[in-house]
Amino acid sequence: MRALTSDPLDPGAALAAVGAPEHGGAAMFVGTTRREADRREVTIIEYEAHADLARQEIDRICGEARSRHGAAVFAQHRLGSVGIGEPSVVVAASAPHRPEAFQACRYLIDEIKRRVPIWKRIHYADGGCEWIDGTTRRPAGRPVRTS
Amino acid sequence: MPGQISVTVRLFASMKEAAGTDHIELSLTSGTPAGAVWGHLPDAVQELGLPKATRYAINRQWTLPGAVLRDGDEVALILPVSGG
Repeated sequence: MRALTSDPLDPGAALAAVGAPEHGGAAMFVGTTRREADRREVTIIEYEAHADLARQEIDRICGEARSRHGAAVFAQHRLGSVGIGEPSVVVAASAPHRPEAFQACRYLIDEIKRRVPIWKRIHYADGGCEWIDGTTRRPAGRPVRTS
Repeated sequence: MPGQISVTVRLFASMKEAAGTDHIELSLTSGTPAGAVWGHLPDAVQELGLPKATRYAINRQWTLPGAVLRDGDEVALILPVSGG
């Protein structure tokens, strides 16, 4: 599994990667780029990473999900420019029973969003663009929602 | 120069954009911690402000802001992340 890729993500391959005959089910989350951000129309979202650190951190998170929930897991994040509606991140988990599969899947996506050094740069239809990385400012002081 | 070290600072996202480059070479006093690097970056980067939740990595391993830099180290400033 390549944790980071510039190629389009394939959710079917993610599900296949976690399938096992001793497991009773799989859960998957596919994050896709949204058409609107901060009430502005979005055209493209660009993702950048500290690649070495991001790979290590995704690997660590996968290990944690495996050991905590006894699940088989998969996680992959896309880098570069991603068109609206396309997957930017795919995580999947399978386990003998569904609670563990759901829990592991949730753990993967929540921890990836919280910890992995990847940043998005939103390109707007009005020609503007901005990084979402804690330095983003809003005139009215509104917080920037990143998820 | 005695007492000086050379480090490479890697920049990402808005810091990279403000600096116009993805890395900057700095000559610092021996004993400088990772967390003090920001104060040596160009004004254009410092004008962004340093988010409280910024993390640090030295030579591609997570570290704490108090970790002391050594000659030849690569230090990365990891701004709050927004993947997904």
